[in-house]
Amino acid sequence: MTFSAAISNDIFLTYVMVIVGLLAVAGLLLGLMTALGKNVSSVWRTYRGWLVMVPLVLGTILLGRTATIVGVALLAMFGFKEFARATGLYEDWWLTGLVYLAIVLLGVASIVSDPRLNYPGWFGLFITLPAYVAAAILLVPILRNRSKGQLQQVALAIVGFLYFGWMFSHLGFLANTNYAYGYILYLVFAVEINDIAAFTCGKLFGKHKLRDNISPNKTIEGAIGAVFVSLLVPWMLWFSFPHFEPWDLVLVGLIVGIGGQLGDLVISYIKRDIGIKDMGVLIQGHGGILDRIDSMIFVAPIFFHVIRWIHGIR
Amino acid sequence: MDEWEYHPPPDIDESMSEHLQNFPRQPYMLVYAIRSIAALLLRGWMRVYHRMRIDGRDHLPASGSYILVCNHTSHLDTLCMLCSVPLKQVHRAFPAAAADYFFSNLPRSAISAVLINALPFDRKAKGAESLTVCSRLLENDGNILIIFPEGTRTTTGEMGRFRSGIARLVVGTELPVIPCYLEGGLGAWPKGVLLPRPRRLHLRIGESRSYSHLDKTSASVREICHDLEERVAELGRSNG
Repeated sequence: MTFSAAISNDIFLTYVMVIVGLLAVAGLLLGLMTALGKNVSSVWRTYRGWLVMVPLVLGTILLGRTATIVGVALLAMFGFKEFARATGLYEDWWLTGLVYLAIVLLGVASIVSDPRLNYPGWFGLFITLPAYVAAAILLVPILRNRSKGQLQQVALAIVGFLYFGWMFSHLGFLANTNYAYGYILYLVFAVEINDIAAFTCGKLFGKHKLRDNISPNKTIEGAIGAVFVSLLVPWMLWFSFPHFEPWDLVLVGLIVGIGGQLGDLVISYIKRDIGIKDMGVLIQGHGGILDRIDSMIFVAPIFFHVIRWIHGIR
Repeated sequence: MDEWEYHPPPDIDESMSEHLQNFPRQPYMLVYAIRSIAALLLRGWMRVYHRMRIDGRDHLPASGSYILVCNHTSHLDTLCMLCSVPLKQVHRAFPAAAADYFFSNLPRSAISAVLINALPFDRKAKGAESLTVCSRLLENDGNILIIFPEGTRTTTGEMGRFRSGIARLVVGTELPVIPCYLEGGLGAWPKGVLLPRPRRLHLRIGESRSYSHLDKTSASVREICHDLEERVAELGRSNG
């Protein structure tokens, strides 16, 4: 993944055209609805958020492998920060700082090469890092000779690192794979489509609550509709991974369709347990970073490991 | 099993610009890191470019909250005062800054809040409210409030009359007030000039004052104003 590779890569260019085209069509539709006197101001806000995010994401991927990995690491850090602030872990600067450092290490492991192999991305370190980080986090109460409330702090730090740091960082590690553009762009695109499909199907057909104690607005109909849409998406985006067999397409469709909604529900019950509505306010019309990347956190590692098992990553 | 207690911060629903305008601010690691680096660079720059000299550092209390009061000739005053406090206390030193100027837009708010750690002070409508914020700040141990009681920068070099806010803040309390005088600020960075000139700066820190013996009356307030004005002017007159 480099700048020159990106501008001559058919997969990247196709995605750019598709996404820009979809944004244009959505903008026109919204303009039309406004002209017809419909109240779509909240949708406009979300749309403007997209207009900021899409160039940032595509621009980062355009810049190349290192930029993509750094971008994912930064998102992971900001995502973890939102989690840490919401839970109160952020008051503990030692543990929070340690998790930040560990996320930086994940980025470094994704960028450098394994000293014994000569291709980029130190997979062994990336995969085993959670063991070292968990050990380091568990050592902190010993070092400061404190026990009160430490289990909660340590548990929050480990969950925060594993989920928002390590699991999400698999997206960055995908930049080292042979079909980096296809994999990353498919994931970003398909996960967002899955989110939109769940929302739309829920609004259109929703009757039965999916998990009423976690997220009262999600419905079984919305979930099924999203899985159905997500199963179709890989067939339309087959050019992203031309080496895939048809049943691979079904598999990645299911990963995105089911995993995306599970990620959404995970953040939902975390928020509900804490008692907050959004994880923060960063992107206008989208809540905090975690409210945006929640689905990806669940999907990225499963996609990565399933693809690695079936096809290898290089 | 007991339920865990979470402590989400009160500003969790607020956007970046609201974070910057609010006071007291929630602590952020990134902000602390940037401010620490900025404070280090500032100290180096003041020493090299302005050959800054600080006398009377030993008058600063080692613990507890206190107020620094200084004459006001330029923006360098604030920077100089920030250099006078120990580096590890830089996150607890709050220069009171006019909200209508230093927090008027997002870039200015960002500089004021992140680099200077300014306390937005409403010098017009809500003066009393701002004083309440100040006294609440000083109730916490170890906070330093930096105030320029003239309220605005002088253009002539003549020290203006002290406004009563500072006096109302400290009358009848144990709070130590430390008068300071900065010499050279007007020549180095007069009002309306874009960048500071490489002139010498000399900050003199006077002996701590306390007004616990006074009652909360307007006569005492006038007395404190007068006393502080005298002390600052005296520091300005002293040579050395």
